[in-house]
Parts: sequence; C-alpha cells; structure tokens
Amino acid sequence: MRGLQLPLNQTQKVRLQRALEKLESLSSKANSNASVTIADSIPVNAEDSLLKGHGTTVLNDEVLATTCGIIERVNKLVYVRSLRARYKPEVGDTIVGRIIEVAPKRWKVEINSGQDAVLMLSSMTLPDGIQRRRTAVDELNMRSIFSENDVICAEVRGFQHDGLQLQARSRKFGKLEKGQLLTISPYLVKRRKQHFHHLEQYGVDLVVGCNGFIWVGEHIEPTDDIFEGQVHKPEQHTTENDEDSSSLEGQEQSYTPLETRQNICRIANAIRILSTLGFNITVDVIVEIVNLSSSLNLDVHEMLGPEFHVLVAEKEAVQRSLTKKKI
Amino acid sequence: MGSLKRKSDENPSGEPAQKQQHKENGSDMVDSEPVACIHDVSYPEGYAPPTHSGPSSASDHSEPPKVFPFTLDPFQAEAIKCLENGESVMVSAHTSAGKTVVALYAIAMSLRNKQRVVYTSPIKALSNQKYREFKQEFTDVGLMTGDVTLEPNASCLVMTTEIWRSMQYKGSEVTREVAWVIFDEVHYMRDRERGVVWEESIVMSPKNSRFVFLSATVPNAKEFADWVAKVHRQPCHIVYTDYRPTPLQHYIFPSGGDGLFLVVDEKGKFREDSFQRALNALVPLNESEKKKENGKWQKGLIMGRVSEESDIFKMVRMIIQRQYDPVILFSFSKRECETLALQMAKMDLNGDDEKVTVETIFWNAMDSLADDDKKLPQVSHMLPLLKRGIGVHHSGLLPILKEVIEILFQEGLIKCLFATETFSIGLNMPAKTVVFTNVRKFDGDKFRWISSGEYIQMSGRAGRRGIDKRGICILMVDEKLEPSTAKTMVKGSADCLNSAFHLSYNMLLNQMRSEDGDPENLLRNSFYQFQADRALPDLEKQAKDLELERDSIIIEEEESVKNYYNLLQQYKSLKKDIHDIVFSPRYCLPFLKSGRLVSIQCTKSDEISPSFSIEDQVTWGVVINFQRIKTASEDDASKKPEDSNYTVTVLTRCVVNREGNAKKTVKIVPLEEPGEPFVISISLSQISSLSSLRVTMPNDTLPLEARENTLKKVSEILSRFREKGVPLLDPEDDMDVKSSSYRKAARRIEALENLFDRHEIARTPLIEQKLKVFHMKQDLNSRIKSIKKSMRSSTALAFKDELKARKRVLRRLGYITSDDVLELKGKVACEISSADELTLTELVFDGVLKDIKVEEMVSLLSCFVWQEKIPEATKPREELDSLFAQLQDVARRVANVQLECKVQIDVESFTNSFRPDIMEAVYAWARGSKFYEIMTGTPVFEGSLIRGIRRLEEVLQQLILAAKSIGETELESKLEEAVSRIKRDIVFAASLYL
Repeated sequence: MRGLQLPLNQTQKVRLQRALEKLESLSSKANSNASVTIADSIPVNAEDSLLKGHGTTVLNDEVLATTCGIIERVNKLVYVRSLRARYKPEVGDTIVGRIIEVAPKRWKVEINSGQDAVLMLSSMTLPDGIQRRRTAVDELNMRSIFSENDVICAEVRGFQHDGLQLQARSRKFGKLEKGQLLTISPYLVKRRKQHFHHLEQYGVDLVVGCNGFIWVGEHIEPTDDIFEGQVHKPEQHTTENDEDSSSLEGQEQSYTPLETRQNICRIANAIRILSTLGFNITVDVIVEIVNLSSSLNLDVHEMLGPEFHVLVAEKEAVQRSLTKKKI
Repeated sequence: MGSLKRKSDENPSGEPAQKQQHKENGSDMVDSEPVACIHDVSYPEGYAPPTHSGPSSASDHSEPPKVFPFTLDPFQAEAIKCLENGESVMVSAHTSAGKTVVALYAIAMSLRNKQRVVYTSPIKALSNQKYREFKQEFTDVGLMTGDVTLEPNASCLVMTTEIWRSMQYKGSEVTREVAWVIFDEVHYMRDRERGVVWEESIVMSPKNSRFVFLSATVPNAKEFADWVAKVHRQPCHIVYTDYRPTPLQHYIFPSGGDGLFLVVDEKGKFREDSFQRALNALVPLNESEKKKENGKWQKGLIMGRVSEESDIFKMVRMIIQRQYDPVILFSFSKRECETLALQMAKMDLNGDDEKVTVETIFWNAMDSLADDDKKLPQVSHMLPLLKRGIGVHHSGLLPILKEVIEILFQEGLIKCLFATETFSIGLNMPAKTVVFTNVRKFDGDKFRWISSGEYIQMSGRAGRRGIDKRGICILMVDEKLEPSTAKTMVKGSADCLNSAFHLSYNMLLNQMRSEDGDPENLLRNSFYQFQADRALPDLEKQAKDLELERDSIIIEEEESVKNYYNLLQQYKSLKKDIHDIVFSPRYCLPFLKSGRLVSIQCTKSDEISPSFSIEDQVTWGVVINFQRIKTASEDDASKKPEDSNYTVTVLTRCVVNREGNAKKTVKIVPLEEPGEPFVISISLSQISSLSSLRVTMPNDTLPLEARENTLKKVSEILSRFREKGVPLLDPEDDMDVKSSSYRKAARRIEALENLFDRHEIARTPLIEQKLKVFHMKQDLNSRIKSIKKSMRSSTALAFKDELKARKRVLRRLGYITSDDVLELKGKVACEISSADELTLTELVFDGVLKDIKVEEMVSLLSCFVWQEKIPEATKPREELDSLFAQLQDVARRVANVQLECKVQIDVESFTNSFRPDIMEAVYAWARGSKFYEIMTGTPVFEGSLIRGIRRLEEVLQQLILAAKSIGETELESKLEEAVSRIKRDIVFAASLYL
C-alpha cells in the first residue's frame, strides 16, 4: 500500500489490502532477511576467499553494503542488487531514450540512468544504408536523423572512454514515432530475450526498454530484409516522410486511425496501472489487462480509476496463487 | 568477350534460372593455353537485379582506382570486373597465382570511395606481413591482432578473423562502415578447431557490405558462393582457375635409390611408366628391413632414420649440383626439421660476401633483443647455419628468428630451407624446388598420408614467377607408400571446402546477449546446414537404391538362416573375447619361446569375403621371437591398443607375390600349398592358438635350406598328431589365465556349440552360400540405416539437439535463466574467447584467482592456453601443483555437468586437456626471470612458449573485462598487474614487419 495514491473508498481499500496481503504471503520468504540497507554488514564466511562485487565494500574486515538492496550470491561472489534505483546499464540491454543534445559526431541520450548515454554517429546505420565512413556532411545532417527530444531505442554497447555507449545494430532500432513514452521504475522491467513486441491485434508496437522507458506506438512495418541487401534504400522513405510531415504537415502519412490511437492509450494505461501497483511488466500481463478492460467495456480513461486497480490486483493475486499451487 | 559477358551480368532478368556459366579460354581451346579461368555467378533466390548496379559503382569514376604495372591474368581481370560492378567475388586459385592483386584492387577501390575495408587472415604472423605490404602501397592502413593494435581508425584494417568476429559481436563501429570485407585463405574454414570462426564471421557480416574471398583451389567453390549468396541475399561471383604462372614438374625420389623420376610433367600429364620405374627402384636393402616391411599392419612405424639421413643429404647435394636451388624441404615435425638441417652441416651454399650480408641482416634484426636474449642457444646456433645458406622455419622458433629467416629467404640468402607446413600459406615466398621429405603427417589422432589438397598447397611454393621456367616438386617416398596413394597425392584434386562447424558456449552466450542474436539463426545460416540441405536429395536416392538392392535378394528359409547367422556372430564375438584375453601380452608373452608351434590365421588363395564356418582357416608356424614395437618419434604420442604393441616373428609358408610392378605382397598359406618358407612378423591378434610343442630351431634362418628343413619337421609333427590334433596349451591350466570373464565366455561358447549341433539348417547344402548372401543383406541394411540416420539429422536443424543440451548446461550452471537471458556468469563467460570459457568462469567465481599471488595466478592460467603434450616435462612445484589440482577439479565438475546434460564429452580427456607443462616456466617469467634462464629448465620450443605467453596475455585482457563486469576491483587490478609483469622483453618483442 506504500506509495499508492488512489482515491479508494472503504470497500475498495479493504479488497486491495486483502489482495496485497495475499500476494505478500505468496512471495517467497527466503530472501526476506537478505535485504540490506547502506552500511549494513553482509554476513560472510571469513575463511572463504570471497569475490566482492557491485554494491559492496570492505571496512575493518567487514563486508558492508553500499546500496539498499538484496544480497545476491553466485558461487563465491557476493553483490548487492539494488532496489528501486536508477537504471544500471548492462551490455546488450535494449533501452528507450530521449535525445537531449546533438553534439559533434554524437547524440546525447537521456536514459533514466545516473549518466547520460552517448550514441555515436558511427554507431548508427546510415539512412541510406550504405556502408561507408562518416563524412562532415553526414555530421551536418545529423539532425535529419535524430534531433532534440526525439525518442529512440537502441542497444547498450558498452562502456568506453567517454561514458556509456549505445548502438543501433539493425533497422529496428532508431527513431520511435507516433506513440507515447511511459516512464516507470526500471526494476519493474525484467530482462527478456525479446524487448520488441508487435501486438498484432491492436496494430501496436511495444518496446519495453530495460531502463524503464516504455514505448507504445503505432506499428511500423519493419523494412523488408530482402531489399536490405540491395540498393533500395528503405530508410530513405522514412526520412522523406519526416520532411514531408514537417513541411506539409503531411496529413496522409502521419495519420493514425482513431482505433489505433485508442489501443495505444489502452495499453499505456495498462502499463500505468501495473507500475502503480508495482507489478512486473511483461507483454503477457499487459495484454491480459487490456483484455480485461475491454471485456468489462471500460473506456480508456476509466482504466485509471480505483476500481480497476483493485480488480487488477485481485486478479493477479488469484493468478499467482494458482501458479503457486501448480508448482 | 569480356565486355559481352559483363553486359549479361547486369541484365540477368531475362534468364529465370539466374545461372550462367562462362568459360573463358576454356578447355575447348588449345590445351597449351594455360591461362584458363572459369567464371560463374550465384544469385540468391528471387533476386531482382538492381536498376543501378552496386553501391560502390554509384560513384562513377572513369579512372580505375589502381593500375597495375603488368598485364593482368584473365582470372584477375575477371575478378576485378566483378569488384567494379560492386558485387562479391570468390577467387579460387593456387597460392602463387596472384590473388593478392584482387585484394589490392578492392582496397584501392574502397579507399577511393571513402569506404572502410577489412582484410582478415588466419594467422597473426600473416597479418603482420600483409600489414606491411599494404602499408607500403596505401598509407591509411591499420592492424589489429591479439598482440598489437596499430592505427585502429585507419580505413583499411588488417586483422585476424577472430578479431573480426569479436568486433561483430561487440558491434564495433567498423561493422557499420565497412564496404568490403576480404577473407584471405578462406579455405581455413575446414580447420577442425578454428574453421567455425569463419562461418560465424561470414554469417554475421553486415548485410550491406560486399565480400572478397581468396582461397586455394577448392572444387566446390560454387557451393560456397551459393551459400554466401543465400545468406547475404546478394550475387556472388566465382572466379576459379587452376592456372600456375610457372608450371610444375613432379618427381619421385625413391628412398634408398639415387635418382629422380619424373612422374608428372609440366603439362600435367601423368607418366605411368616412369612412376612404375620409380617404385621398382624401391627395393628394400636388406633382409632385416624386409622383415619390417612385410608387416603391412605396422602403420605407426617411422622410417628408418639411418638410411634417411643420407637420402636427404644426397638429395640436397644433387639439387645444388643441378642448380635447382633455392629449395624448400617440407617435413611435418619441428624436431625433424631441426635434425634434418643439422645433417646438412657439411654443406656450404653461400659465398663470402653473402655470408657478410647474412650476418649484418641477422644482427640488425636481433638488435631489438636484450643482450641476454641474444645469447639464447636458438639464436646463437642459428647464425652459423644461416651463414651457410641453410635455414629452418617452424612454429617453435622465436618469432623474430622466423621473421629474419623469411627475410633472408626472400633475399635469396637462404638456399635450402627446412620448413613445416605453416610455411606453405601466406606471403609470396617461392622457391625453385619443393621437396617433401615425408608424406605422412600426424593430425592430432594418428598418422595419415597427406591429402592431395595439402600437397597442392605446399607444392604451390615451387617455381618463382618470372625467374624459373618451371617449378620442381620432389616427393621422397619409401616402401610403405601404396602406389595408389602416391598417385592420388600427386595427381589428385584439391580438397573440398567442407564445413567444420561446431558449437561453443562463448558463441551461444554472445548470440543470446544481443536482442538480434539467435543461436538458431546462426545454425540455420551456417555452411554446415547449407551443405546438409544440399546433400539431402542425393542421400535419398542412395537409400532408395540400396533398398531396392536389398529387396532383390531373396533367401530360402530366411528365418532359420537368420537365426543361424546370429548364432554364428555371437560365437565369433565370444571367440574373439577369449582370444583377446588369452593373447593379451600379460598372459602369452612367456610362451612365445623360440621354436614353439603356433597356429596362424591364414587366407586361402582366393578368399575375400568373410567365411562362415565355425572353423577358422589356420596354418602352423614356428615362433622365432617377439618384439615390442617401438614408437620412434615423439610425435607418436597416441597409444595403440596393447596387442599391437608386440609383433611376433614367425617362420611359416608364404606366397610372395611379385607380380605387377607394385611392391610385393606376402600371403600366408597352408603348409601343404606351394610357397616359400618365409620369416614374417605378425601381430598377436593373428595367432589363433599356441601348441604345447616346440621344435629345435636352427641358429641361422637366413639360408633357405634351414628354413625348409624346419618346416618339414613341422609337417612331420603335424602328421603325427593328425588324428587327435596337436596338443594345445590350455589357457587355464597351462597359461595361468585367471579371469572371470574368460571363464564366463568359455562356458557360453560351450552352450553355443551345443546349439549348433541341434541346428538343422547347418547341415543343409548350400548353407555357406546362403550365409554369404545373408551377410550381404545385413550389410546393406546397416548401410541404409546409417544413410537414413544422416538424412534425419539433416532434415532437422543441424546441431539442434546439441544446442538444446548446451543450453541446458548453461542453465544448470547458472549462466542463463530459463528464458535464455544472460546472468552475471554468462556475461563473464561472454568475454572469454581465448580459453575454455566455462572452466575459467567457474574458476573466477570460485574465488580461486582471488587468494593467490599474481605469479601463481599467471602460472595457473597458463594451463588454459597450453595444449602441447610434453612427455619429459617435470611436475610443477607443490603450490602450483595444488592449484592445478583445483583447476582439474573445476574442469571435472564442468565436464560432468555437461555429461549429465547429454553433451558428448569425455570427462577425463577434457580434464586432461589442461596442461600443467609450462606452469613453472610461466611462474618464473612472471617473477621476472630472464628468458634464457627459464628456457634452460623447460623442454619446450622457444617459439611455442612465446606463443603461449602471448595468448595468456590475451586471456588476461579478457579477464580484466570480465572482472569489470562483476565489479570486483581488486581482482581487476591484480589482473592488470599480471599483464604488466608478463608483457616484457623478448616475448613481446615487436615483429620485424611492423
């Protein structure tokens, strides 16, 4: 119930309380004493040769935690996995970010982390798809690829000399358009094999960034691979589109049907609910909530009401107890 | 014709088959025109030609980016045309043909178009040489190998294929800027261990870039190009040529003889007569040699060294006299190289002024070494040899020495170079003559004949373009070489380019780490899968044919024949079990006394198919003595099964077959049949039983009479015992065989014998034939089964089961979650590509590296990079040994998990693949000892040790990255210290090419 700020009436409060208690009772107790706050001592066997990983330090022969979180052990390694912290990037993560600065040969990207990330011009596939060195002209045209406040998705490449580097390996990375960006706590996003999802029944693309930025937008047909190998320049169309839309306020190309827009909002609201309740965010759960809301004939805006929150919590509690029993 | 052809290339839309073949100056033209090349194109399925051709030609330059000062050979011109069109090309030609021209052109073109170009080669040393070559030509060139990185921002990057792979996994910016990727020596793809790197690199290469593949001649170049076209959805040209700028003459030098026989002339014609004469000259010298030679089965034997020494010397003298120098003499072991070179001690091939030049060059190169290192025996011993114009080149040499020798050879100051196979790839270093001192090679498991492909590759070093009219290639053969083997070697075609794909954990983890990566996708796109798919229709046909054949065989009373057949098989295998027990050296050696009568398995004159009677064909002979087969060479590390370690020399009657000009064959025949009394040596398994009788032996078996008399005696004895049979040694009572398995087998045989008696079909006529037919049918059945099995495995995704099993391993060890997402351990293992990733990661997470001193850690890690087995290596000191034991425990644990997860692995051999042999040396090196100090106590080659330490440094660098991702700063700084301790002096002396 902590942090939940919903105008609940008395019955709803009781129901929510019960659901949350149930959930708590279902969660495994094993880890309960493994959580630490800063400067807590981490119990270790002194004779073992210990590897001390992230979030730990040694003071007077005692291993101390430097962040709040949960102690994790892998063989002889001890580290603290922090809770509710800012996003901690790891190589290979898919992230969604917002361009905040166009700098020489690079974009600076806000990614909800302690540090802004850098996307080098050279780490980006050029719009014309040609493999070549980046020229001064390319540099001057950088704004035609991404300009300030554009939302992009990219992959974490690693940590190099000047900070956190991003890259866009293939065409599915890049600018995100016609949709909305949601910001949630990164800990709610579990790393998966796939972070890109195409929800066909809604005509919507969902990008669940590991950094807690989630993109819900109109589905864009991925550029066909067959043409990639050839001189056709699929991306060029999109760039042209941009120009069109900016110059002509291009009505036709940038038009998103009402239904899709409603779907986008519905999905976004589903994510908002999950985030308020503090549930993990996966595609399956999102789709479930969306289905629940439409089966109840709720309007998009009604989803954010307290009643639906309670419903979702109860449903989750039932579901988890079911899966628990199965195991 | 050229322009016409190009046109049709650009408009292939008219032909839906999308396949054209152009034969230029093809075989229909005059044969003496040697400059033929075949040009072919592979198009991907459903490929629509672009309205405007390739990206690079988008910028239409009328001027070619590079003009060569000589006229191009047709194949070069053809390949360059493809480049101009902006399409990928695979050039398959001999080493000396001039493939580099194509690479140079591609580089020049990319540089002109402000595009990046990557050149990969299989070997670090080769990368260094190519870097120098390109640097002289173009300035904007960089180098990246595991050892050095120079100008990584240059437009043309020379690197090893491994580096290119890891750059692609890491998503380096180069992957987005590279327009052309040149894979040199792409036929390395068939390498068992490293070949998979090429497949990974090619599959992962950026989709929009174009490729140049340079390869030795491979017959299935088309298949390779088809694969590239499919995977990258772009056309890929093939330019294939057999052309050699200098034609070759192949000679045979029979060992013990003293002349050369021309077997293949410069037109490629095989001279049968001269070939036969060469083999006839191969008469073994004396009786003792004859004995050895009789045993065809003694494969592992090394040729008698005594006679060979003189052969090599004679050969070199003759080459010098006939002015066939410079000459490269290939052999397949480092030690052999050195001993052969030392045999040349008496020769002096350099004039006085040449000697001075050699010495200056030598000391200039050695200048970069510390004074102590200049006193290394390898350095000081080498100079006198070099001054006389004799050189040695193998991987055991100090890298710097190797390079000096390469330079001296190119300058013509070495007239006679003893080299291993590694010298046959890479830079253009031709000689007039190439000699094969041996035709057998140890390939990790066993000795085998070199393949015709290897022969072609190595003989490619013969003949200097523009200097020699023809190259000379001499094959030294000894009597063990079958004529047919020799013929295929000399005349055979190049080896096929077959996939050697296999899975590794590092590969899987790296694929799983990135959003796009998918191990299954990699498998689907692998050349292995491509080849398997392609072979499918063929296999189907084979299976069908065999099935037809099988069904056409009809046997009466098949059921009971089958029954009887199975009984026979059981009986035979039991007999064999018993035989194996009784004739294990432990039991039977005490009884192999001179003069004992033994029965020997023999073949009747015309018997080929297996016999089906209960009785074996046996004859009698007299034991003379037995001996242990010595393993003469240290390369022969593989232990043979125990019984073949002994041979028994037996006097018996034989037919000696001298017909044909081929080498003679000796066949054992029953005593009554005509033949000569002959002393031969046989293996223990050929003796079927020992009798309790002994005859007195003459002192000397050399005279025919003595032998004849002895055999007569034997016949007499045999006739005396004709009725009750010759008394045999009873295994249990006389030979003291005490083994429960023996007794069990004996009992079962008795039971079986009873069954035979009751079997009616045994008495029907024609049973022999029926059994034979049935055997054929069984044989067909098993062949069909194996074909079907391989069909099944290729219809499914290749390696699918293994992939599953390996993922299971990763899950169980906590490297990935159940949804295939990498855990912390997985991220660490991702970084480790130069050592066994699982074992090393486990070692790190067990905290083993944390507690120990830096030098101990370095020493422990050396076990990961050292693979050579050194028999005389001393055990490391106790602290190190206990560390090694810890490592072995971890390795065993990892191997056991793999076994439990159904990954095919031999736990013990996996555990033993970590070698402690250089632990001491590396320990000393990390403590700051001088190189010559550690060399005195270590029985390894200098070059091998240096390579080991360099690779160790690579592992350390990877571990630093791993420690970073764990967040363990102490370990990180410890590893960094380790790097600084070992990275010094001669071990990391810069290459002369840089």
